[in-house]
Amino acid sequence: MEGSKISRRNVLVGASALAAGAAFSTRVVSAAPPASAVTPALIEAAKKEGKVVWYTSVDLKLSEQIGKAFEAKYPGVACKVERTGAERILQRIGQEYTANVHAVDVVNSSDASHLVYWKDQGVLEPYVPEDVAKFYPAEHKDADGTYASFRVFLCIIAYNTSMVKKEEAPKSFADLLDAKWKGKIVKAHPGYSGTIMTATYQMSRDLGWEYFEKLAQQNILQVQSAADPPKKIALGERAVQADGVEYLIFQEKESGQPVEPVYATEGNPLIIGPNGLFKAAPNPNAARLFQSFCFSPDCQQLCIDIGGLRSVHPQIKEHTGRTPLSQIKTMKDDAAAVLKNGEQIKARYTKIFRV
Amino acid sequence: MTVALPASSARRGLGIDLSKPVLIAFAVILFLLIAMPLSWLVLYAFSSKTGAFTLDNFHRLLTDAAYLDPLLTTFALAILTALICCIVAAPMGWLVARTDMPLRRTVRLLVTASFVTPPFLGAIAWELLAAPNSGLLNQLYRELTGAEQGGHLFNIYSFTGLVFVISCYTFPYVFVLVANALDRTPGDLEDASAILGGKAWDTARRVTIPLALPSIVAGALVAFLQAMTLFGSPAILAMPAGFHTMTTKIWSLFQFPPQPELAAAASLPLLILTIVLLRAEHMVLGRRGYSVVGGKNSEPRIVRLGRWRWVMLTAAMLVLMCPVFLPYFALLNASFSKVASHLVSINNFTLHNLHFVFYELSATKLALRNTFILGTLAATAGTVLALVIAYVHTRQAVRGYRLLGFLATAPVAIPGIVLGVGLFFTYTRPPFVLYGTLWILLIAFVTLSMPAAYQQLQSAFKAVHPELEDASRILGATRLRALWQITAPLLRTSVIATWCFIFVGVIRELSAAIMLFTSETKVLSVLIYDLNESGDLAAIAVLGLLMLVLTFGIVALANSLKFGGARRLSAP
Amino acid sequence: MASVELRNLTKRYGDVAVVDDISLTIEHGHLVCLLGPSGCGKTTTLRLIAGFVEPSKGEIRVGDKLVSSPAHSLPPEKRNMSMIFQSYALWPHMTVAENIVYGLKLRKMDRASIGKKLDAILATTRLAPLAQRYPGELSGGQQQRVALARALIVEPETLLLDEPLSNLDANLREEMRFEVRRLHDAYRYTTVYVTHDQSEAMTTADLIAVMNAGKIEQAGSPEDIYDRPRSEFVARFIGSSNVIKGKGIDAARIDFAGTPLRCVGEQIKSGASIPVSIRPHDIAISAAQRQGENVVSATVVRQVFLGGSRDYMVEAKDGTQLRILTAAGENIPQGSTVWLTLPPERCRALSG
Repeated sequence: MEGSKISRRNVLVGASALAAGAAFSTRVVSAAPPASAVTPALIEAAKKEGKVVWYTSVDLKLSEQIGKAFEAKYPGVACKVERTGAERILQRIGQEYTANVHAVDVVNSSDASHLVYWKDQGVLEPYVPEDVAKFYPAEHKDADGTYASFRVFLCIIAYNTSMVKKEEAPKSFADLLDAKWKGKIVKAHPGYSGTIMTATYQMSRDLGWEYFEKLAQQNILQVQSAADPPKKIALGERAVQADGVEYLIFQEKESGQPVEPVYATEGNPLIIGPNGLFKAAPNPNAARLFQSFCFSPDCQQLCIDIGGLRSVHPQIKEHTGRTPLSQIKTMKDDAAAVLKNGEQIKARYTKIFRV
Repeated sequence: MTVALPASSARRGLGIDLSKPVLIAFAVILFLLIAMPLSWLVLYAFSSKTGAFTLDNFHRLLTDAAYLDPLLTTFALAILTALICCIVAAPMGWLVARTDMPLRRTVRLLVTASFVTPPFLGAIAWELLAAPNSGLLNQLYRELTGAEQGGHLFNIYSFTGLVFVISCYTFPYVFVLVANALDRTPGDLEDASAILGGKAWDTARRVTIPLALPSIVAGALVAFLQAMTLFGSPAILAMPAGFHTMTTKIWSLFQFPPQPELAAAASLPLLILTIVLLRAEHMVLGRRGYSVVGGKNSEPRIVRLGRWRWVMLTAAMLVLMCPVFLPYFALLNASFSKVASHLVSINNFTLHNLHFVFYELSATKLALRNTFILGTLAATAGTVLALVIAYVHTRQAVRGYRLLGFLATAPVAIPGIVLGVGLFFTYTRPPFVLYGTLWILLIAFVTLSMPAAYQQLQSAFKAVHPELEDASRILGATRLRALWQITAPLLRTSVIATWCFIFVGVIRELSAAIMLFTSETKVLSVLIYDLNESGDLAAIAVLGLLMLVLTFGIVALANSLKFGGARRLSAP
Repeated sequence: MASVELRNLTKRYGDVAVVDDISLTIEHGHLVCLLGPSGCGKTTTLRLIAGFVEPSKGEIRVGDKLVSSPAHSLPPEKRNMSMIFQSYALWPHMTVAENIVYGLKLRKMDRASIGKKLDAILATTRLAPLAQRYPGELSGGQQQRVALARALIVEPETLLLDEPLSNLDANLREEMRFEVRRLHDAYRYTTVYVTHDQSEAMTTADLIAVMNAGKIEQAGSPEDIYDRPRSEFVARFIGSSNVIKGKGIDAARIDFAGTPLRCVGEQIKSGASIPVSIRPHDIAISAAQRQGENVVSATVVRQVFLGGSRDYMVEAKDGTQLRILTAAGENIPQGSTVWLTLPPERCRALSG
């Protein structure tokens, strides 16, 4: 009985352990290891391992493209992309680690608080790629070197241009509460999507939970992933998305679909998707190589060009036709607070939206 | 007259009859497979977060609307589904088994097609068809009526929509049971009614329908349980509609931070209800024997429909539109269309989706391989296990056979997702650390397919007179040999059917797999579910069609393996 | 009630004539047995009469009504017949009583009459204590009686029985034979009874029609069939006859193993090979030399004491073996030469 209790506690992925919640201290850079360059020895070692496994919540197309680009740059190292929602990645890694299954090398989550959590658990390996050390702003890398902001993007409103005229399109979150949008909104779920989890925290903090209570009266179409609403409005299933990833709106729009982003006047939730690698990674060298690749200008440019993401790498060019990040009002990111309040946010959301 | 004894009979004194130990070994395997996860489930249901005994989970379940509502929704869903399935499938089963309706074989084939279509795939296909705005049917409706944007005929994101979609892929259970029962009912029984003056309708009402009743009741029960424990379709349709069923609720309880105690408690009512229903079935059928008494079988009596033949065929085809024609069309369309909600046209046609699935999506090959391996292994292991258990139960070969029968039936009450969790707990600790391997999925699939496989083989066993086996044993065969040489060949058709059934079940299975897969052990259904989560409908359509091709390939292959003998013993 | 008449009835499945040009008249109130080995077409004939099968040629009349012809076939439910199936075809989901009254309910009879008739038939068939049981809970004999009761209670014009006793054990079968006959005497329905068991046919039938290969070989009273078989098939199938072959001498005699044998029965053509039947108990055997007409010498091959009688196998000079049944006291050892007397009136010349 004693034994089962201990293992059961593990199963719960240390639900209680989060209380401590080490602050996302972005100021001090002292504890991080020195920057690591991509050396021929590392490439050789990675080739010996032959593959790298990347759990990610990046949209499928982009994540597969990144994998292909990596494989092209380092032939002989296969990249296995496991794409699923950020919250399910958290759940799966928890399950796997409880069972002593170490399948994941590198993880990316659209919920930055997950990285904080894993770091607290002591399962992340400190590793600072050269690009991160040289170019990434301090607030976008962990002081202890366990993760850095692989991708940055917004969670935004958007609409289908063939269903909504430009002048009638919503300008703000508050506009969505208008009765004319009843039954026309699609929205993703914080229980499944890290993006929406982060966004829900920021919005509930800045706009208050009343906003969601009113939104719940609008008869929304509830989907799971933040990647789904852009697809639903592109299909024409709903006219407007209340939230959803910005990068897919770019992708859809640039491939000719009738969608248009809206940057809400109240400010737009800023989503940070850090990458980190695991101590128990089955392919530790390939993991390092891949981590370095992810933060290289090549990969970051790919994220922008193909993926429609934002990057905090200063060498990256923003895409023409997209509003530069600097001109958009964003809400403030706070991973530690998300980690602390995550459970409560889900519970409250479920109560309000009944799913 | 002398009977030449086979030379092998000389050896029989030497060998020990291994049947008892073998049977007991099988019993133990089954016990481990099912009892272990079930024990964990029960233990969890009565545990608090810290592991202490508590009833809080049940208290919360029954008082908190967040849990009570899904429970009630699930019951309503299951009852409606069972009713619809019976109303639609029982007459269809009769049409193909007992009338001269044209294209009966084709109708059977098409029902099989809807049976092998994974319900979650059907649900996604129906999203493509009947999502209120982008659904193809609703677009057509607006086109035809000139209705406003937002006007729609169907809304698949609704309780009704969910009942409809689940019924589409559940009615084959009732159909197959009824059609098979009618196939097996000797024509003599109906002839006897006719010669006493019973007109076609009298005979149908007083003889045929009551004789089919056990299969209708059984079918309704299976449909009910299917609807109750199904995960994929509700996960796809219920959440957008803004409600939960028990399975999606249980699934949501495993979101971080997981609440396995509540999930376990939430699944117990389903388990208890199943047991009650199975007992009730016995009570309804009671003392009446339904096995046919004595005598040789005679050919079934065919009712001539006359002019109604074509009307009936049209009706059957209309029914089959829903699970087969329309969804397949939608998937096919989405596979080759740039936008899933637009009909394929010259400037909309694309092969990019195929290219994406086969060349860009890194998980495709792995998932295909895993699915194929698991399907084959699970079907083989499951058939053997079910065969032995069914044998033990029908022939009452060892003590405790009743318990075995119950254990083999019990998984029917466990939502796959909960079994997944039970298995997860069981096989992540010594002595069986199987998580992360295909074995844990194999165990899950074998366990989940056990009730159906067992039921199927058990009824097949009941149809084989024990004397046939006894005749072999008296000539010197051990029990196992008799089983293998006499009974098994007689059951060949059923065995092949069961094998296919499990294989197809594995391809369809999502709910347990979703708890148990790791990146190396991903299967097709999980891949599709992941894709659905992020709305990649085109890729789903391609994979779904691939899945169907694989399924039909297996079924066709297995059917072509049927050997001459054994098929029509009763033919004059 | 009415007579049943089959005229040139033929049923083909593909090229095979299962029933081949049968004509038979069954008098009103008579019990006719269709007797023959399995595959002779007797069950198909019965199903033709019942209306489950439609004829390829010929017709069936009940009374003066045409019920079956290739052009038109009255469905079984409109023929006012009853049938007892080989499998009994008892409905497993109905009790004994429910099974029995089924036909009456279809005839919309009122409850009281149904009850009265049920009680009567239950008494006749001695099923009263079992009325509320289900068929699965009955023994074979009881099931058989239920089937009988169910068929009789509707007072059919015609009663059809398809090997009704074949699933019973020997004792019961014997008992039930008399039961069937007793019930027939009580109700006197026109009855067609199919069996492959000749003693069953002997006990129950007014008229036996021996069938072989889709044809009726001979129809007649049991005595007729037994004593005066007209073909080798009938002679062998009914009882066990010795069939010997000889060459015709004149219209009344054949040459058998060098001895002229006077016979009755079919016309004998001189010079033709003529089969002649004689029953084992009709042959007299003697160790002492006999002389006279129809005496043949032979050797005892074996003999068996059967208690009430003795069973000899003897061999004539031409190698023909004959079975002989004698009184038990007549003990002649194996190997002895014996003289057989074959009474002329018992030697029946058969049609070739």
